[in-house]
Amino acid sequence: MMEKREKAIEQRVESAHLKRKAVDLRGSKDRSAEREYSVAARLRRGERAAAEELVDMYYERIYSFMRGVGHGRHISEDLTQETFLRAWAHIGQLRNGRALGGWLYRIAGNVSRVYWRKQKNRKFASIEHIERAANEKAEPEKVSQYEELARLQEAVARLPWKLRKVIVLHYMQHLTIVEAAEAAGVREGTFKSRLNRALQILRKQVS
Amino acid sequence: MEEKIEKLLSELAERAGQPVRQGLAEDIKNLIPSRIIPHTMDTINIIIDLRVSKLAAAIVIVVTLILLVTLHGGADAAGDNIYRDGELLMKYVFGWGSASKSDMLAVRSKYECLVQEGIEAVYFGDKADLNDAESVLLQWKLPDGRYEVILGDLHKETVTAEELIALQARMLQNRINR
Repeated sequence: MMEKREKAIEQRVESAHLKRKAVDLRGSKDRSAEREYSVAARLRRGERAAAEELVDMYYERIYSFMRGVGHGRHISEDLTQETFLRAWAHIGQLRNGRALGGWLYRIAGNVSRVYWRKQKNRKFASIEHIERAANEKAEPEKVSQYEELARLQEAVARLPWKLRKVIVLHYMQHLTIVEAAEAAGVREGTFKSRLNRALQILRKQVS
Repeated sequence: MEEKIEKLLSELAERAGQPVRQGLAEDIKNLIPSRIIPHTMDTINIIIDLRVSKLAAAIVIVVTLILLVTLHGGADAAGDNIYRDGELLMKYVFGWGSASKSDMLAVRSKYECLVQEGIEAVYFGDKADLNDAESVLLQWKLPDGRYEVILGDLHKETVTAEELIALQARMLQNRINR
């Protein structure tokens, strides 16, 4: 009897905690959306401070996007800078705050695609492999995990550009399907079908 | 298997994206222009928002240009905006960056607008050296006696008759040297 009551209390506490967490999450999303609206509006007015805020909000994400699609560290830095330069030159295209991230990712995608296109005639650049952690050299289980990661990295890098982009946006940038489709500049249906195709290829390569 | 790939991709993202160089944000902020000027590109925005294919977009803009020139006789303000939008759209259609052939299409359409308006304009697009930023692609006379020119790097400039002669002499010299 006592045990049952304790369990019920535990469940109630757990459910209250989850509710609080959901409210917090919703609140933080709302705040972030509000901030994006405000930055977008100020950018459209040509405010320099808003441009600085945009950099703070997105530079890590854009850099990580560039790394995800397979550029090396230095190239990723250059392309991140190029993305922001293009963004400022094309501020007129920015519609509202909701589209701020998608707009910036679309520019980043274009910058990256133009870079790959320029490299087309050269030999494919060697992939800058992720670094091994210390224990990945010694423990057999970790070694095999690292190898799996490296194999996946190569498989992602070999994907056609359109498929690579959807994988990076959804799985590596953790955007929802709606956000990622917006960022890729395609409809949701197209995005999902590309995602499926990309996953099929990765599954084959990794297994 | 899918879950495993998701997990691995997530880990890959974490490892590949880190660490971001300290100072990168500052480097980017240093590149912010002193004046950010929002340029409205309505024609392009509509086409980008509609997500029509690039070929369809090219057809739309060419048809729009022809219609505007035909229907409105290339009214000055509209003609100029369309010229600019046309130029930007062509860059969008054929890839950002250099797009000399597409640029020439835009300059050509500007020339046609001017002719429709009855302005005496001279188009050098067929003969001009597109690699030369200072070669004159298009010129027309302004009411105050000066000339408006569109140069090889696609920027518009107002010059005096003497300056125009100097530009043309330079072009001629370049052609002889070639």
